[in-house]
Amino acid sequence: MSKVFSKNRIITLFSTLLLIVAWKVVSLVYQSEFILPSPESTLISTFKIILSDNFFPAIGLTVLRGIIGLAASFILGVGLGILAGTNETFNAFLKPILVTIRSTPVISLILLALIWFKVDMVPIFIAFLTMFPFICTNVIDGIKNVDKELVQMAKTYRISHWRIIREVYLPAITPFVFSGASSAMGFGWRAIIIGEVLSQPKYGIGTFMQSAQTFIG
Amino acid sequence: MLLKIRNLNKSYQENKLFENFNIEIKENTISCILGPSGCGKTTLLNIINHTVNADSAILEGFENKIISYIFQEPRLLPWKTVKENISFVIKNLDIKEETVDKYIRLVELEKFANYYPSKLSGGMRQRVSIARAFAYPSDIILMDEPLKALDIKLKLNLIKSFKRIWQFDKRTVVFVTHDIDEALLLGNEIFVFSKAPVIIKDKFTLSSSFSDFTLEKPEMISLKKQILKIMD
Repeated sequence: MSKVFSKNRIITLFSTLLLIVAWKVVSLVYQSEFILPSPESTLISTFKIILSDNFFPAIGLTVLRGIIGLAASFILGVGLGILAGTNETFNAFLKPILVTIRSTPVISLILLALIWFKVDMVPIFIAFLTMFPFICTNVIDGIKNVDKELVQMAKTYRISHWRIIREVYLPAITPFVFSGASSAMGFGWRAIIIGEVLSQPKYGIGTFMQSAQTFIG
Repeated sequence: MLLKIRNLNKSYQENKLFENFNIEIKENTISCILGPSGCGKTTLLNIINHTVNADSAILEGFENKIISYIFQEPRLLPWKTVKENISFVIKNLDIKEETVDKYIRLVELEKFANYYPSKLSGGMRQRVSIARAFAYPSDIILMDEPLKALDIKLKLNLIKSFKRIWQFDKRTVVFVTHDIDEALLLGNEIFVFSKAPVIIKDKFTLSSSFSDFTLEKPEMISLKKQILKIMD
């Protein structure tokens, strides 16, 4: 069987079609566009939204907030992760901070951020707080998994500490960093949109979801 | 000139590895330390390299000496090519790129200069580590059983590569092994170590005509028998 039509791909396609069929069946059962719109009416509405004036500003600003949050969490996450991974004392210091951030419900952070920041900053702050612990923890794990023999080889050849970080640690932790960033972005986008729903900046996916919900009533 | 280690004392908890131990190593020769596993051969290298502290010792002739190391494993950076791995250790040292090319040629890896370690065999990777050790402007090269993980054919190839490069650049080499054949093929001087606490049971100096890369010579066979008897 060719690669395009491999067994697993067919099963995936079938599963997707089944999902759409189930969606249609349930929408027919409820017969209400408010409770569960049909797949075809959803598709039509999607095109209408894309063609609306607010679509690109909303998408653009949500994405921009995500990028800013990701960039900040990436820079700080990698920087502090390297420090914590190479220094046990700093790792011990950072650990409770990371645990606290990760275990605090996102909604509590949003409610606090609404008091502390302007509306446009809230989703960025939440994105940062959501993504930073993932990236930082993954970097720390990556550093601890670096082959100690390579580090010892570099020290034997009197390579400077900064070059060891740049040319041994950083390349070694790259898979961990990208894995952390990938997980982080999954949670991060959700957090941004929840943040927009609650803080209601002028343009944003969350803002328009909240408006749409209001107009349903 | 001689490099001397005098009155070396080193213990690990209750175990005395070295007790008032003395050894003299000739510069610009390949000195082989032959002994059973666990007798302290690697510890001696690590004391010379300052990665382990002796309890007490006097090291003469080692002051300001730069050391490079050939480990048991090649320890190449997987994300750098052959050439980049060698350049990694000599960056910022005012050494020309031609030096790297020269040593890559000497280990016969010029066709693989832009290959990553994952694309090389075990023997080829170890040749890169040999080239790296020689490209580094060291005064002393320490070798810790670098042929241990290799099969006989690869070992012989590597010994050949090493001797070719050493003929070109006769640095002081201290080479540790538990394999008599390796010692006979590579060493100019062979120190036979006892178990801990270490003493030098005997020392052999091979003439240059000895080590012309064959163990079948009667002199080599006789020497091997002598060494075996001493090690037993």
